Amino acid sequence: METKTHKILIVDDEAHILQVLSLKLRNCGYETTTAVDGKDALRQALTDTPDLIISDVQMPYMNGLELSNELSVNAKTAHIPVVILTARGHTLECSDTDIPNIKKVLGKPFSPRGVAELVAELLIDVPASSTCNSEAA
Amino acid sequence: MFTELISISIIVSTTAIAVVAFFIAKKWKKLGAEAVAALQTAKLDADEAKANLESAKIHGCIDRTRRRQVEAVFDVLRDSVLVVDAHGEILHANGCAEGLLFVAPSEAAGMPLADVVIDHQLVSTISDARCGLPKEGRQYEQEIQVGGETVAYEVHLQSVGHKDEAMHAVVTVLRDLSREREIARLKSDFVSKASHELRTPLSSISAYIEMLVDGDAADETARQEFYAVISTETVRLQRMINNLLNISQIEAGLMHIDRERVEFGELVERAVRNMTPQAHAKSLDIHTELASVDLAVKGDSDMLYQVVVNLLSNAIKYTPEGGRVTLSADAENLTHSLHFSVSDTGLGIAPDQTEKVFDKFYRVENYRRVAQGTGLGLNLCRHIVETLHSGQIGVESQLGMGSKFWISIPVGECSVKLAA
Repeated sequence: METKTHKILIVDDEAHILQVLSLKLRNCGYETTTAVDGKDALRQALTDTPDLIISDVQMPYMNGLELSNELSVNAKTAHIPVVILTARGHTLECSDTDIPNIKKVLGKPFSPRGVAELVAELLIDVPASSTCNSEAA
Repeated sequence: MFTELISISIIVSTTAIAVVAFFIAKKWKKLGAEAVAALQTAKLDADEAKANLESAKIHGCIDRTRRRQVEAVFDVLRDSVLVVDAHGEILHANGCAEGLLFVAPSEAAGMPLADVVIDHQLVSTISDARCGLPKEGRQYEQEIQVGGETVAYEVHLQSVGHKDEAMHAVVTVLRDLSREREIARLKSDFVSKASHELRTPLSSISAYIEMLVDGDAADETARQEFYAVISTETVRLQRMINNLLNISQIEAGLMHIDRERVEFGELVERAVRNMTPQAHAKSLDIHTELASVDLAVKGDSDMLYQVVVNLLSNAIKYTPEGGRVTLSADAENLTHSLHFSVSDTGLGIAPDQTEKVFDKFYRVENYRRVAQGTGLGLNLCRHIVETLHSGQIGVESQLGMGSKFWISIPVGECSVKLAA
């Protein structure tokens, strides 16, 4: 049986973070993809529009704030909500994250459970875009 | 009348005139006894005046010497000093004050404060201080424009004079706070970077523990994977803390090192033996080229071993599968130093990044996705080589063509054995 699910792009240069968030969100019923830097994430977002993006800030080639900016000025991606997940939370100025598509800034260490709850909250009114096969209950 | 004339001459032209007039008068014998007595008195007065003048000259000389000494003290100070008299004129401006003035410090003496000092607020503060200040003076911080730049100063004002006097002289000492501000900024940056780097493994540890608690691991295999991540990240965190402590101890000059004769060749071979499993896992060829000379140095064996392991470990981490890592060591009699290098056929480093690789927490951009690192290993190597062993460390690299990290260490007392 085909059901619709939300597709989430997770961006971080730490493999363990990608792994743990992907697993948590998959366990919660989301479809996940990953990117290891901002450039990779932007490319994926443009070709395979996700419903939500969770991104680290400090990454090679393009950081999470630059990524958010690029997404916000592109008509194809401007609507995608972004959650920033950073270990630099205390050094970020409010103006740094004052980008329309950034919905929340979470500090590291973070709770995967908390991230999953936030994702559910942010996507509550967003129609799922991805189709996946699931067994009937 | 004649006596008065003589006396006036004495005062005006020193005693010489009086003495000459007295002898002329005596010789001509045209003067009466009264006049002679007056001239004798005048001569005595002249002698006293002469003595007074000599004394005044000496005192003037002493005053000038003292003043020059005081000015010399001001001039060697690293702080800017402005001395203003009760009338608001500059008595002295030392060399450091140059940037604060419209004119050269040597030309400032005697000029009105407002014509000399550029910053209006400082002029106003010093002028106000001439009315008197508390005994302990006044101290505050102020940003002052110096040569187009804003410089933070600690300004210390002290008035000099009797409390009953309406206006006082003022000594102003201005301490440039740029260096202190820079150190504070570096400290803050360091704490910020350290906190970021420590949070990264901590994030993995806490996230995986929560996943285990929440039952997100599907089976025993998944659980074992989670345990392994927690264990690896704990070791990484521990390594970072150790490196940070070592670096800060070296930087603070608190690191004690045991200097002994270190057989560097043996140390290299031990490092290679210990790192061989990691190299084999990536099918890397480890090649060792040790010159057949005495490769002993005077140094700390554990620290130098850490340098060799760090350089070798980096080469293994950032060299793609099937690559080659070469360790070379040789001693040079001319400079009495030992040269060691680790070359690889790895990713290489862009020219604009080679200088930064030894900085704290710096990680080469294209290395991040290849392997984990603390960003501290090479900084620690630099401290061990340069600070603790008076050596040098460097890198030659070409992007995509591999890197060669090298160190050069004075052999110390072992040089005698080398030369022999």
